[in-house]
Amino acid sequence: MHTVVCMKQVIDPEVPPHLFEIDPEEMKQVRGTHPLVIGQYSEVAIEVALQLKEKTDGKATVLTMGDEDTVESLHQALAMGVDQAIRITDPAFEDADAFGRAHILAAALHKIEDFDVVLCGRQAGDIELGLVGPFLAEELELPCATIIANIDPHNGKVRMRRPVDIGYEILEASPPLLATITNDESNVPRYASVRGMLAARRAEIPVWSADDLGIDTSQLGLSSAQIMMDEIFIPETHVEIEIIGGETGANKARNLVDHLREEGLI
Amino acid sequence: MSILTLCTASSEEIPPVSLEALAAARNLSDQLGGGDVQTLLVGSGVADHASALIHRGADSVFVVDDPKLEDHQAELILGTVEQAVDQLSPDVVVFPHDHLSGGHVAPRLARRLKTGIVTDCTGLEVRDGNIRWLRPVYGGKAVAYMIATGPVQMATMRALAFEPLEPDASREGVVETLDINLDALSAQVPVVDQIVEEDEFAGRSIDRADIIVSGGRGMGDEEGFENVKKLAEALDAAIGGSRPAADSGWVPHSHLVGQTGKIVAPQLYIAIGISGAPQHMSGAGSSKTIVAINKDEDAPIFKAAHVGVVEEWENIIPTLIEELKKE
Repeated sequence: MHTVVCMKQVIDPEVPPHLFEIDPEEMKQVRGTHPLVIGQYSEVAIEVALQLKEKTDGKATVLTMGDEDTVESLHQALAMGVDQAIRITDPAFEDADAFGRAHILAAALHKIEDFDVVLCGRQAGDIELGLVGPFLAEELELPCATIIANIDPHNGKVRMRRPVDIGYEILEASPPLLATITNDESNVPRYASVRGMLAARRAEIPVWSADDLGIDTSQLGLSSAQIMMDEIFIPETHVEIEIIGGETGANKARNLVDHLREEGLI
Repeated sequence: MSILTLCTASSEEIPPVSLEALAAARNLSDQLGGGDVQTLLVGSGVADHASALIHRGADSVFVVDDPKLEDHQAELILGTVEQAVDQLSPDVVVFPHDHLSGGHVAPRLARRLKTGIVTDCTGLEVRDGNIRWLRPVYGGKAVAYMIATGPVQMATMRALAFEPLEPDASREGVVETLDINLDALSAQVPVVDQIVEEDEFAGRSIDRADIIVSGGRGMGDEEGFENVKKLAEALDAAIGGSRPAADSGWVPHSHLVGQTGKIVAPQLYIAIGISGAPQHMSGAGSSKTIVAINKDEDAPIFKAAHVGVVEEWENIIPTLIEELKKE
C-alpha cells in the first residue's frame, strides 16, 4: 500500500511559556530563534505510515507545504524511513487558510495519483482547528475516518483503531481513504537514525509550484467563507497557591488531608 | 436569527455535551438579544427526548428518529445534518465538540456548505455584531477570538465549556419531525467492532470525573506509578497521566491528560511528579482545585496549582493513603 502523509511543520511547541510571544499585528506566534519541527500529530502520522509500509511491504510518501525552512523536517521524515518527500511551495500559497490548504493538497494528491491511504494529523500544533484533514477528504471525495491511532491491512481493506472512552472502536474501509491520526501507545514515533539522516540529505526532494499543480491562484480558498483571527493574547494566569508545610513528609501528608477535608474537596 | 444545535442521542440518554452546546446556543441567543434556538435530535428511539431538550433551552426540536441512525455512523449523521440545514436554513450552527460531530461531521459539513467554522471553542461573545468564538491556540499558551463568515456561521463547543441549563418544565416549544432521505446514505467507514478496556483502569476513566489523581515522569517507573493508582483507589478517584507517563506505557492513552490527550475539569485534580508543561496544563488547567505534589519547588506546576506540597512523593503517598482510610 502507498501511504501519503500530509505533514505540517510548526514552531517547536516545547518552547517554554516565558519565551512564547505573540505578534499582535500579525496575530501569530513570533518565530524568533525557535526551531521549526514536524508537528506532533504529523510525526505520529509518519509513524503510522511507516508501520503500514512494513505491514504491507508498501511505500510511504511525505508531502508538505512550505518554503526551504521545511526541508529539514522532510529530511527527518526520510531518515525515519519514508521513501519519498515532496515539497509544495508558491508565493501565492503563503496565506492559504484551511480551505485553500486542502485545495492545494488535493491537487498534489491528484498529481501523485497512485495513493491508497492519505494521513493527516488530527490537528496542527498552532491554531489547531483540525479542519484540513476532513476538508481534504471532501475535496478528494474519499471515505474519511478521524482520530485514528493504528491501521492494519485486512482482506484488501483496512481496519483502523480509534481510541474511545471505554477502549477502542475498530473501523473498516476500502482504500483509497483518508484518516486523521492521533497518538496512543502503538504509535510513539521512532527516532531518525544518524545513517538515515546522512542519506536523507542526499535525497532529491521534488518541489511543486501552483503551475505544476495546475492551480489557478486567483481561485484559492473560498470567496464565500473565511475563518479569521480577530484577537489573540496570552491569558493571565495568576493563581494564589497555598503551600502545605510540615516537618516531615508524613506531616505534610496529614496536613494536606486535613486541608482537603476542611475545604470539602474529599 | 436562528441557531441550530445538534444532539445525537441514544434511546437511554441525552449526552451531556449536547446539553452544553444547547446552553452555548442559548447564551448566544441572549447576547444577540433574541434568536430562535433549534435543536436537531438525531438517533434511534430518541423522539421522547424532545421535551427534555425544550426544558433545557431549545425553542424548537426537529426530530430525525430512525433505526438506521442507531449506531451514529458518521456518514449518516453528516448526510442527515446536511439535509436538515438545507431545510431549516439556520444562521448559526453550534455543534458539541465530541469526536463524532465536532471532530468529524462539523468540518465536513462546513466544507460542503462552503462556510466558515471555528472548532473546539471554550466561549463566545458578540461584539460589533460579530460572533467571536473563543478558543485556546498554540497548545494552550495563548487564546484567540476567531470569526467565521459564510452562508452559515459554524462552531463546535468543547465539553464542559458551558454548563447545561437547569431543566425548566414550564418552558414550551415546538416539536416537529423532519423528513430526511436516509436511503441515499451509506456508512463508508463502518464501526465493525468495539474493544472494551478490561483492566485495572476500567472504571477509573477521567471523563467527567469529580476527582482525578494524575502521575507524571517524576513517578520514575511503572512500579512508582503504582502509587498513583493506589492513591486513586483510596480516593475512589479516576487515574490520569501526563504525556511521559502515557508514552512510557504506565497509563493507557485514554487516561492521558493534556493537549494530545483529554481536556478535563474535575473538582479536584491531584498532580504528582508532574512538572506542569503547557501541553499538560492545557488539559488540566480548568480543574476547580489543583493540588501539586512535586519535589522541585521551581516546577511550573506550582504556578498553576491552588495547593502545593514540596516533597518527594515517596514521603507523602503512604501517609496520605493511611490517613484517607481513617475517615
